[in-house]
Amino acid sequence: MSTRNYDVIIVGAGAGGGIVAGVLAEAGHHVLLLERGPHLRFNDVPRDHLRSQRLSLYGHNAGPHIDGNPRVVVNAAGREAVVRPHEGGYHNNAACVGGGTRVYGAQAWRFMPQDFRMATLYGVPDGSSLADWPLSYEDLAPYYTRAEWEIGVAGDSDAIQVQAPGTTPYPMPPVPPDSKTRVLERGATALGWKTFPIPLLINTVPRGERDSCVQCKYCVGFACPTNAKNGTQNTMIPRAAATGNCDIVSQAMTERIETDTQGNAIGVSYFAQENGQTMHHTARARVVVASAGAIESARLLLNSRSPHHPQGLGNTHDMVGRNLQGHYYPGASGICEETVFDGVGPGVTIATNQFNHGNAGVIGGGMLADDFIKPPIDFWFTSLPPDMPRWGLQSKQWMRDNFTRVLHIKGPVQEIPCPDGRVQVDDTVRDRWGIPVARLSGATHSATVDTAEFMRERAEQWLRACGCTKVWSHRRGLSLSGGQHQAGTCRMGRDAKDSVTDFYGRVHGHDNLFVVDGSLHVTNGGFNPVLTIMALAFRSAEHIAKSL
Amino acid sequence: MEYSVKHFTSLQRATLCAALDRIIPPDDYPSATQNGVLEYLERQFDRDLQPLLETYHHGLDALHYESHLHFEQNFAHLAPPQQDSVLSRIEHGDVAAAWPVEPRQFFQLLTQHCAEGYYSDPGNGGNPQMASWKMVGFDQGVDL
Repeated sequence: MSTRNYDVIIVGAGAGGGIVAGVLAEAGHHVLLLERGPHLRFNDVPRDHLRSQRLSLYGHNAGPHIDGNPRVVVNAAGREAVVRPHEGGYHNNAACVGGGTRVYGAQAWRFMPQDFRMATLYGVPDGSSLADWPLSYEDLAPYYTRAEWEIGVAGDSDAIQVQAPGTTPYPMPPVPPDSKTRVLERGATALGWKTFPIPLLINTVPRGERDSCVQCKYCVGFACPTNAKNGTQNTMIPRAAATGNCDIVSQAMTERIETDTQGNAIGVSYFAQENGQTMHHTARARVVVASAGAIESARLLLNSRSPHHPQGLGNTHDMVGRNLQGHYYPGASGICEETVFDGVGPGVTIATNQFNHGNAGVIGGGMLADDFIKPPIDFWFTSLPPDMPRWGLQSKQWMRDNFTRVLHIKGPVQEIPCPDGRVQVDDTVRDRWGIPVARLSGATHSATVDTAEFMRERAEQWLRACGCTKVWSHRRGLSLSGGQHQAGTCRMGRDAKDSVTDFYGRVHGHDNLFVVDGSLHVTNGGFNPVLTIMALAFRSAEHIAKSL
Repeated sequence: MEYSVKHFTSLQRATLCAALDRIIPPDDYPSATQNGVLEYLERQFDRDLQPLLETYHHGLDALHYESHLHFEQNFAHLAPPQQDSVLSRIEHGDVAAAWPVEPRQFFQLLTQHCAEGYYSDPGNGGNPQMASWKMVGFDQGVDL
């Protein structure tokens, strides 16, 4: 065992932690960035069609390892199961340097001003914990711009003016349309819906000494062959390393955050892999930041119990781990007369914000867009019409005739959080380091299902307007969300009774302990959440840098 | 093939191949076994599908008996329409033989695993020349 001293220790090198590390190291602070997963080079992330972060039948391509990292999930009937990372109900996100950003689809959406004021705009449904954020869109706007420029977003600068007037243009032009974009534009025009290209954290021109996107077929769920996909692993983390101020330790699993009797964080203990052996270390710091994702950050706070904090850190009011949310993803598929697949990636080209708010009879809404390219086996699992047999000549020939003619529309629905959807720790099940694992239970609020149904109808409507001859979709009943869009478990707020942190992510009752990741989101928008995680990280990091 | 000795009897193997080739039959493009699905399965029975090997043994034996009860012949020797009628019974659980595994569940597994071998990447052991990708049109565009 050895002990080292730092200014700041950050647990988790994903979208949030990577940015905090970069900002603080560049501000001259001595940083330790701990990441439980490995540093993955391009060749370390297989293009395995059965084991990716998109379709994970038998494993993953970006961690965590399927052995030794279990979780306990409790279903609606109260039945418990121990599940592995690639199995249903685990709600995995990639575990590696860069976190989810190493293999994500990189959609770079700003939340809308209304998304920060959901309770005020819609009221609070019975049984939900819907609340306003303690900050406004305007508070976050400069940091959205910073994320767009420093991580690198390609998008339509005219379109962002519609969503957010006065916004600085994007640094790069959008990914060009493909053969299905024209069809979807035609349908939207017929309906009177406004559409625009999807903002992506992808280089469409060479930038930052890295190449541009070659529009291959393996984007979401895979690593980029030209390193054109911008995550923290190829932007902020290398910047942190270049300062010489940041020790980046991968394959290092944080056991707990240590606190003193006053509740101040004094450091962490962690397990690291050194020369094939597991070593136990402690490190000390003036500030500790949990950036492990909504499930693992909550788990870490809860596992950092001490005699002075028997319920875990920041958990005096039993709020840590509650309000776990992600996104319902309603959508529809339809068959076109014409070919809509030309093998040009990434595949997401067109979206509408027509239904994010102002929908009669439901709370909130969401963005709708086309989808990433699906490998054929993914298509076989997710895109066959319900009345199509899965065997025989008819089924084979349907695949042959329709793989290039099926249009997909889907989008994330803003969830109405429920306090019962939660992360706890289970002392009876331990991971490979002997640390109690996350225990997931509960579900979203039923109002989420209603909004998702409304959006599913809009997706079908769009496809019919495109002239699709056959349209189908599936209802999703009440269940727990999380997954790659996991959020909400350490929500920001003004009052310790109904939140975990203040509006900088500082944990109530622990002056030098912060959470910086999706855990902070009071609500999760009707959009992919990563740009908001990044914007909050820039904002929190700036605050921490000033306070040191 | 050495795997066939390891994982299946020759009768089980014949039954399996015949069933796979009705799940994805030949036409202008290869059938399941013509496109490496057996190789996919044999590789997987050493890995992820190892826990299901016994289910396969039971299921394939029951499929054999089912075939004899209806047509008094080994499944692999039946004409394709007869094979389809046996598989359809299994698909719907309308079976006459004593099944030690749930027939509908076995059929669902067989169908899913067949598609996995046929449509996934050659690195998994099936689809060696990516024939299914050419068939559906996935081979277009940039490969890098």
